[in-house]
Amino acid sequence: MVLAHQIAMENPSMVLAEGVEATEFQELSEKYGISSVPDTVINEDAGRVIGAVPEQNMLAELMRVLGK
Amino acid sequence: MEKLLPEKIAAQIRDVFHQLKNPVQVLLFVSQKNCDFCAETRQLLEEVIPLSDLLSLSVHDLAEEPDLAKHYQVEEKSPAIVIAAREGEQVTDYGIRYLGIPSGHEFTTLIQDLILVSGRDSGLSPQLREYVKGLTKPLHLQVFVTPT
Repeated sequence: MVLAHQIAMENPSMVLAEGVEATEFQELSEKYGISSVPDTVINEDAGRVIGAVPEQNMLAELMRVLGK
Repeated sequence: MEKLLPEKIAAQIRDVFHQLKNPVQVLLFVSQKNCDFCAETRQLLEEVIPLSDLLSLSVHDLAEEPDLAKHYQVEEKSPAIVIAAREGEQVTDYGIRYLGIPSGHEFTTLIQDLILVSGRDSGLSPQLREYVKGLTKPLHLQVFVTPT
């Protein structure tokens, strides 16, 4: 979660990073089929990062979704 | 009302808050209906934020301040927490949101976020930092978590 917030901080005009408490926002969780946490949904499910991952893994997925 | 934070924990947080460097504005958006955790989230923040002079809290009702909610992209989401930078009266949005009550493990996240924003530096590695800075398309990250 903090990694997502760090990313937003670097470019807030382009990035919105929401931490979502899955049990309170059940509709959203169901929409994305959240079954384990943390689970990061990128651009409404264009990408996905499951688990707390190192920066490199996050970067790789961002590049896959948004391009290099 | 009974406190959510025992004095011992409050003292520990006060200690950790010595790491705070610059003012932080926390905005809490609540709703009168369909919000099981709004009252508790408000109480938690009202206990945490006064533990440092660098932290300020404002509480907003989604129904009463729809334009502000829209501005912060938290419409129909409550409780929603925005953690922003503040210089005097100027509030700078860093795109940092937390939807729900930050309890359990996520309480630590809240404290980390406050310190992060207060430091005004993302602390990212150079490679990721450069990539994010160069983004030309919007990026929406939603990190789903549970309190335990």
